[in-house]
Amino acid sequence: MIAIRNVKKSFGKLSVLQDVSLDIKEGEVVVILGPSGSGKTTLLRCISFLERASAGTIAFGDDVVDLKHASKKDILRTRRREGFVFQSYNLFANKTAFENVYEGLVSGRKVPKKEAKEKALEALDWVGLLDRKDYYPAQLSGGQQQRVGIARAVALEPEVILFDEPTSALDPELVGETLEVIKRVAKRGITMIVVTHEMSFAQDVADKIVFMDGGVVVEEGSPNDIFTHPKEERTKQFLKRIIGEFVYEI
Amino acid sequence: MREFHFEIMVEFYFKILPYLTITITYVFFSLLFGFLLGALTAYFRLSKNPVLKAISGAYITVMRCVPSIVFLFLVYYGLPGLMRTHFGIDMNDVDAIVYVIITFSIMLGAYTSEIMRSAYLSVDHGQFEAAVLVGMDSLTAFRRIIFPQALHAAIPNVGNIIIFMLKEGALAYIIGLQDVLGRGYYLNSLKANAYSMETYLALTLIYWPLTLLLEKAFRELEKRHSIAFLIQKKSSGKEVKA
Repeated sequence: MIAIRNVKKSFGKLSVLQDVSLDIKEGEVVVILGPSGSGKTTLLRCISFLERASAGTIAFGDDVVDLKHASKKDILRTRRREGFVFQSYNLFANKTAFENVYEGLVSGRKVPKKEAKEKALEALDWVGLLDRKDYYPAQLSGGQQQRVGIARAVALEPEVILFDEPTSALDPELVGETLEVIKRVAKRGITMIVVTHEMSFAQDVADKIVFMDGGVVVEEGSPNDIFTHPKEERTKQFLKRIIGEFVYEI
Repeated sequence: MREFHFEIMVEFYFKILPYLTITITYVFFSLLFGFLLGALTAYFRLSKNPVLKAISGAYITVMRCVPSIVFLFLVYYGLPGLMRTHFGIDMNDVDAIVYVIITFSIMLGAYTSEIMRSAYLSVDHGQFEAAVLVGMDSLTAFRRIIFPQALHAAIPNVGNIIIFMLKEGALAYIIGLQDVLGRGYYLNSLKANAYSMETYLALTLIYWPLTLLLEKAFRELEKRHSIAFLIQKKSSGKEVKA
């Protein structure tokens, strides 16, 4: 189990996270929803040390790491338990699709080269991009780049994969293929924390939905609880607004 | 106008040419130390430490504001006194080339640090984040991901700075160094400065091909380092799918 406890983060005077705690069971898919500026992305960045939290801990089983005072060693160890999929893909521009996955295994996780090669090819095949393995990111569509990003995270076999708005930067027609791949990751039983604005996707794959607003967890529960019987006024308003927009777009 | 003596120009050309080794020596060492100093300065300037940031910023500003020739004189006339009074080191027997290398290393340190800083910043920081999150330490992430791309971004400017050094280094003659310009100057003076046109044309013919060659080499290097070139290389010999 992964236990995130009392995470706080401020940028100067602006408090972005005010005491956020979250439990994630093994194999669970947790989707974090909330308006922009609610601290969803910052939470993911704090637990992967891309930002230094002002307070809080993350525990993988018995291994508790202080998010504020973690040493370089703690950080490296924690990051090696995690995979991360970025909103803007962040593929290595000077590496092919294959090398993007392979590099992480060899330079990041010290997997022997032969094994890394097999794993990288397998992961690319799994996201349906084996025929694009020698393509550079510049030659791939946004959806393909994000699938490589997912392959890069999955190949590492982390204990949890963090998805930071993985489809927000994509053209609408490419969102579907990417969500399909993320659904397959979920079906594989990999523990996931997903920050997204895709409501129907959240409803489909989430075991648990966490609604955040103003740097706090307002409400959490099963998709059914949250979407059909939200308890908190703020959750209701948010859903009404999003689903309202949804209807408007159609 | 007096007659142009082609044979004198040829004679000077071949007499000056061997001194190119002197020119190349100070260009090489100034660039070497300049880049080392520049890397350190860029590192300071990009660091979060406000003191290091301020020091490197001040150094860059000062160097940018001083003409090379003024700084060369400052080093040439100032350094021996400084070394003698503060460290008891006598610099009387030190060759002029040492002053030239010291001067230009310090100047290039400032210039190259800006090249390196902008090259580093040209690589999207997200790639660095992705690299550390697949489990690389910062140094590996820098070496494997950021550096190759930053290097590509820096190539044209590095080419420029080498050419700049080659030409600016000619100022060395002014403190009596016998590099190509110094030698040309000397040969002309032996003949009562009667053959200035021949001397400087001979020098032009030495500098010009060298600069052209450097320019061409760096353009080629930039091409070979580009993603477009890598793509072309990968896809040559097999069907390219759109």
